[in-house]
Amino acid sequence: MTLVAEGAAPERMQRRELSDRAFAWLLISPALLFILVIVVWPLAETIRLSFTDATLGGENFVGIANYAALFADPKFWQTVGRTFYWMVLAVSLKLIVGLIGASLLNAAIPGKALFRVLVMPPWVIPVAIGVIGWKWMYNGYFGLISGLLQEFGLVEDRVALLATKTSAFYSAIVTDVWVGTPMVTLFFLAAMQGVSKDLYEAAWVDGASRWYRFRRITIPQIMPVIVSMALLSAIWTFNSFEIIWILTEGGPRGATTTLIIDTYKVAISSQRFGEGAARAVVIVVLLATFSLFYLWFLNRVNRQYGAK
Amino acid sequence: MIDRLTLLQKIGVYIATFFFLLFILMPFIEMIRVSLRPMSHLMTADFTWWSEDFSLQAYRDMWVTVPLLGRYIFNSIFVASAVTLITMIVVIPAAYAYARLEFPFKSLSLGGFLAVNMFTGAVLLIPLYRVLRSLSMLNTYWAMIIPGVAFLIPTGIWLLRSYLERIPRELEEAAYVDGASRLYTLRRVVLPLAAPGLIVVGTAVFIGAYAQQFLFAITFNNVREIQPLPAGLYEFIGYQDVTWNEMMAAALTGITPVMIVFLFLQKYLVAGLTAGAVKE
Amino acid sequence: MTHLKTLTVAAGLMAGTVLSAQAQELHFIMCGGEVRAADQKVIDQFQVDNPGVTVKMEAVEWGTCQDKSMQLAAAGDPPDVAYMGSRTLRQLANNDLIVPVTFTPEEEAAYQPGVLKTVTNGGQYWGIPHAFSTKALYINCAVVEAAGAECKAPATWADLVALAKTVTDNTDAAGIGIAGKDFDNTMHMFLDFLYSNGGKVYNDDGTPALDSQQTRETLQLYADLLPYMQSGPTEWERDQMRDLFNDGQIAMYVSGPWGEGQHAEKVPTQIVAPIPAGPSGPSGTILITDSLAVFKGTGNEDLAIKLAKALTSGEAQYDLDSSWGLTPILDYEKLGMTDVYYRKGNWPIFVAGISTGGPEPMVEDFKALQAVFTNMIQGIMLEEGTVDELVTQAGVELAAVR
Repeated sequence: MTLVAEGAAPERMQRRELSDRAFAWLLISPALLFILVIVVWPLAETIRLSFTDATLGGENFVGIANYAALFADPKFWQTVGRTFYWMVLAVSLKLIVGLIGASLLNAAIPGKALFRVLVMPPWVIPVAIGVIGWKWMYNGYFGLISGLLQEFGLVEDRVALLATKTSAFYSAIVTDVWVGTPMVTLFFLAAMQGVSKDLYEAAWVDGASRWYRFRRITIPQIMPVIVSMALLSAIWTFNSFEIIWILTEGGPRGATTTLIIDTYKVAISSQRFGEGAARAVVIVVLLATFSLFYLWFLNRVNRQYGAK
Repeated sequence: MIDRLTLLQKIGVYIATFFFLLFILMPFIEMIRVSLRPMSHLMTADFTWWSEDFSLQAYRDMWVTVPLLGRYIFNSIFVASAVTLITMIVVIPAAYAYARLEFPFKSLSLGGFLAVNMFTGAVLLIPLYRVLRSLSMLNTYWAMIIPGVAFLIPTGIWLLRSYLERIPRELEEAAYVDGASRLYTLRRVVLPLAAPGLIVVGTAVFIGAYAQQFLFAITFNNVREIQPLPAGLYEFIGYQDVTWNEMMAAALTGITPVMIVFLFLQKYLVAGLTAGAVKE
Repeated sequence: MTHLKTLTVAAGLMAGTVLSAQAQELHFIMCGGEVRAADQKVIDQFQVDNPGVTVKMEAVEWGTCQDKSMQLAAAGDPPDVAYMGSRTLRQLANNDLIVPVTFTPEEEAAYQPGVLKTVTNGGQYWGIPHAFSTKALYINCAVVEAAGAECKAPATWADLVALAKTVTDNTDAAGIGIAGKDFDNTMHMFLDFLYSNGGKVYNDDGTPALDSQQTRETLQLYADLLPYMQSGPTEWERDQMRDLFNDGQIAMYVSGPWGEGQHAEKVPTQIVAPIPAGPSGPSGTILITDSLAVFKGTGNEDLAIKLAKALTSGEAQYDLDSSWGLTPILDYEKLGMTDVYYRKGNWPIFVAGISTGGPEPMVEDFKALQAVFTNMIQGIMLEEGTVDELVTQAGVELAAVR
């Protein structure tokens, strides 16, 4: 820059330094206000409720009784385990299917623009509507899946996928994957398209196979996206409520009851707000711990793969 | 050349894509089939691909069964748009602050915003009801818009931040040197460059808003005229009957406007995602 | 001068309160997803008879309705009147959210036996019963005869199992439809059978009585019927099974009087029979009522009670019961009506059950109660325990329900 500017810079920097902070807070304040009123305050209230035995009628302070009862209940630990299993399985499947889908959509074939549009509907529609569609398909008597399987002679009798514990759980997983895959696919696709062609060229010149190029170039290059999508997806999947609720309401016999379903049943269905609040707090703590661990992992990955 | 596929590989890709898309679109196929059948033939276990009594009757009847259907569709789009608009207005300055400026508690507050993602509104319903009541927002459009905005802000900031970080600082510095104020720089220099990112984040926020209106609508609102579509669909559930075909028809019709807009936007969406893929 | 001023002000205030008292709005939540014609008639008339009063109807479907009313009450914004299942009354009453109602001796006497018991808690009435139902067994004769059996009402449980077996063995259809979904009518269906076996959920003194011989026999019935039930019974609740029945997929199932109309078109060969009697008791049924509850703290309690009484008065109630196909809730003949609808057709079967039937148990946490039964029933359907184990466990779980 010019001499004049250089000379003037420090003074301006000084001025900027002070107003930097103020400016920043000014910029953030609307967002902060929203969050404080709509999220933080009800959350504080929820935490407070978790130390009471609040029900419809009133409340008394009970200290950590709710938490003690919760941790002492073997069913609670089963639910925690089930929720993590649900999350890990669903997210893994979403990532894998998303990678496959993104690769397919990235391939140089005519019609790929159309295909990309066709991937979007599950993401665009309200989740509730899509899940109702799946519920219909899973019906043992009138559903598409049972009908098709019988039609093609793959099964003899009707297949009631939501009626037994194992099949209900995995059917819910399939629906959850269906809901989450489009977004993952599209983000992966975008990331793949951002990978520099030079890298591929160099490897190709050296005679690398397609699979090798995928494994050694594509994946590492988009790894930061994979990891960040994984975290977002994990959080949403952990709390995935509508999907399970509409399909099975947590049944049969608790086979699909994850922490959020349990919390809803206790807080809203049974009107036991205190106990429900305790569960809600547990969910937040678990997710926060998980996320912290994940962000640490993310940092390591970033350093390793040198992105940014 | 590097991208050229052999014929065999092309066929393989087409087949795989077919199955992939089949998985994605199967429920829609089923919903369309359900919407085309008359109620009397809906609950039959005999599976047929095509039936003579497939008709668009349900699409006509649904307007009669649920007279406010058009209103519901409008409400859904209106609420989602309002949420997106307000969210973007709030998120852009905040994302800029996190992308560019240094200030105390920066990481902590960002982590705090992300933490909001960690619980759904489902858990906070009753305290939230009380808050909205004291703000006199119940049973108005605000009841669905305000919570929607609040829960989407973290995602918006998180996503937009990474786009803004990629804009070269030199451009901003050039503007400062020329005497521009910070707000001017933000408006005239940064935003235009961030356009792809804005579109992507705006789209993601719109979809998020469209998807989560259901819970807030049924809890915080009981004025039928302003209900959005997912809540309105419940009106197809009668005393002992569910008019499934009309419900599916209504659902499909309701999402069509949004899908059409998407068809136009998809070009920008993918371009935007490419321009600044979500990296950390 | 001061007197005049005071008088004017006082007059103004009074006029103000009178006017504001006139312009009232009642928020009415109607569970079931639609407002029935008979009710709408009364509501319209009520608005005409009470100028300045508007009734804002909100019809919400059964799945979310009761939760929603309770949520509103919990958040301090209750509706004025709600039409809900009577099972919710105890929780609302114990939490001081609704007002007790009183009946004149004539009104009390007019109700069918057992009906008022479903709205009683702590010695007081908490809702005005508005719909009543009993159950019976529906049989599809076309399917039964196609299986080579005689279409006759099974009198005992052994007959029932035999008939179901015949149908399943000889046709594509399932013998019987039994509800197994986590839904309230799953529990109701089980209680239909339990009460047809002399069983009880609670003793008269309020102590749990579920862990009993009668319950074991009832659960054993379910176990015996399991091979002959519809596929995946844990997915079905009673209203959905109507479609299976209409499609000829199940030969029998238990439902209320409304079933006749629902099956008329597709199953013209249907017959109605009392629920078969178990080894330990006579044929009975579960008695379920839905009531109108008036919420506290709205300022419109008196007006709301007035509306509720209008909806449930003799003529209006008869109109509803006969047009909608409900078991008569009042003894209309005692009220002086003749040629009543329930002397005709299959109605006597539904009316006969009233005296031997048992009530839906009144507890505060009715969701927990439902869970006890769902657990037990699904346990036998998913073959996750023996009858003895499941009943014993249910007994333990029941004791924990408040």
